[in-house]
Amino acid sequence: MDLAVKDVERHLGKFAATIVGVGALLAIVLIMNGIYRGNIGDGVWLIDHIHPDLGVVERDRGGPFNEQSRLPEDAYKSVAATPGVAEASPFITYAVQRQVGNSSQQFTVIGYNVFGGLGGPGRLVAGRAIERAHYEMVADEKLGLALGQEVRLGVHDYTVVGLTKGAVDSGGNPLVYLSLADAQEVLYQQDNRAIEAQCAASLKTLEKAGYLPAQAKKLLPLVAPATDTVSAVLVRLAPGADARQVTRRIEDWLYYNVYATAQERDLMLQGRLRKMTAILGLFRSLLVVVSIVIIALLVYVLTIEKIRAIATLKLMGASNWVIVRLILEQSLVLTVASFAFAYAAVHLTYESFPRTLVFVPTETLLTFVAMFVGGGAREPARHLARAAHPALARLGG
Amino acid sequence: MAIVKVERLKKVFGGGELAVTALEDIDFSVEAGELMALLGPSGSGKSTLLLCISLILEPTAGVIAMNGREVYHDGRTGIDGRRFRRENIGFVFQAQNLIPFLTATDNIALAVTLNGARDTAAQKRARELLDYLEVGHRADALPALLSGGEQQRVAIGRALANEPPLVLVDEPTSALDAERGMKVMALLKRVAKERRSAVIVVTHNGRMIAGFDSVYRLRDGRLANDAKA
Repeated sequence: MDLAVKDVERHLGKFAATIVGVGALLAIVLIMNGIYRGNIGDGVWLIDHIHPDLGVVERDRGGPFNEQSRLPEDAYKSVAATPGVAEASPFITYAVQRQVGNSSQQFTVIGYNVFGGLGGPGRLVAGRAIERAHYEMVADEKLGLALGQEVRLGVHDYTVVGLTKGAVDSGGNPLVYLSLADAQEVLYQQDNRAIEAQCAASLKTLEKAGYLPAQAKKLLPLVAPATDTVSAVLVRLAPGADARQVTRRIEDWLYYNVYATAQERDLMLQGRLRKMTAILGLFRSLLVVVSIVIIALLVYVLTIEKIRAIATLKLMGASNWVIVRLILEQSLVLTVASFAFAYAAVHLTYESFPRTLVFVPTETLLTFVAMFVGGGAREPARHLARAAHPALARLGG
Repeated sequence: MAIVKVERLKKVFGGGELAVTALEDIDFSVEAGELMALLGPSGSGKSTLLLCISLILEPTAGVIAMNGREVYHDGRTGIDGRRFRRENIGFVFQAQNLIPFLTATDNIALAVTLNGARDTAAQKRARELLDYLEVGHRADALPALLSGGEQQRVAIGRALANEPPLVLVDEPTSALDAERGMKVMALLKRVAKERRSAVIVVTHNGRMIAGFDSVYRLRDGRLANDAKA
């Protein structure tokens, strides 16, 4: 006779409610696992996806993904002329918050040479790549845009010609791809009043420097801020080229910083992502511990509820194994069923989450094992069952 | 031969100045088929005596013999207490000590399976006992759905499940009204006579012991000199 099964049969509603409750808690643990991995995945997605052989950025900068970097647009020509470089493409990236449809959304703009340059969107889930020099865009479906839809950025409307899935920046915000010129325009173009204010400020500066108003007006174009900068130059090496040698040449000759993809990745993981990853990791560990404690407490309460039945069993001469089996079976059923509930719930709903959730099978398995082997925490319940004195059974209820 | 023989039994709780003597110089024996009443006021040591006989509480001194074999002798016991209870003793305590999540049948069958029988045989035995105790129609009911009298019958069935030579019954009527209490006592008499079990019934209610073979009175842990009725 399986006492655990009999008990569950008699208290099916209560047991099911407990499983749902514990399952919800475990679902949060799994979601936190997913957020933890998703944070890392999102953080390095762009780096991994673009995957140039080398990335050239402003001197002493950790950019273009970790830190702001500004290079003159034509820097790619000097880089392309460096021995060992097969291809060099200008690349710009920056974050914006703009009105898209009915809501204000944060996204990152990627500008690249749409005619065969590096840094483009790659595989699309709908539509086509940008084929015209202006006013076309590829957006991630997370923005909620449809093919053919027009989006106003700055002073122009851009038509969505392609959609990506899962293209996000290090903060998990969706990406929008534009031609390099369009991306620079969106970044730098100002409306008339802003331009007037900028001119007035520049004129004042020149006049303070001793120029007459007429002279200052003529010099104005020379002091206007540059609008043709890029964040980086992406490099594809020639076959057989030594990356270290090419790096040294660019750094020495052109006075830029050069990073390989792996270095960019490390910079991201050790820089921008480190603190958030640590916080999420801490929360994840705490949640696992809290879950184990709650499961152990539930098992303890289930045991206390049965303490007189256990005492009666001892009085009847039941062995310790019969009693421990009753508790262990129930706690294992509780753990396994709760985890199954959590797993199913999370996998049916994770795509609706605002952040990317990434589930690593080995981590999910380890979480399950942690809950399952949380048996160490079930020891108080087992101890209670062992300690229950059979004399307790004779007490009136 | 006596089913149970107790000599010079003593039980002391605690030690030093705080020591409390619960039982002192207890001597009695019970034969097969004998129905024995153990009377006494609350706190006189009746339940302690039952717990000592069943080796749930270890006596401080004395001798307990079961079917002629010493199971306890002045602090020495060479037996496995649980196995001893499983094979030799049936217990009936106050109401509400049935396993609450098992049906009447399963409560009795459990005792049989604990003694090594297969499930089907245990279920058959349980049904037979329920019929014998006239609660066969409540075989599939949970304890919470049984009346106090029905619960006691099921508890008696469980105590008899392995046909033990000794049945210990502690205050079986305390949770019952007088009429149901009398019925339970009558049933215990029937069990003793028909099944040849030695039955020791602890009670504080002297009106319930008509027809018992022997009556012992316990006061302050000692049996009265003129104990045997």
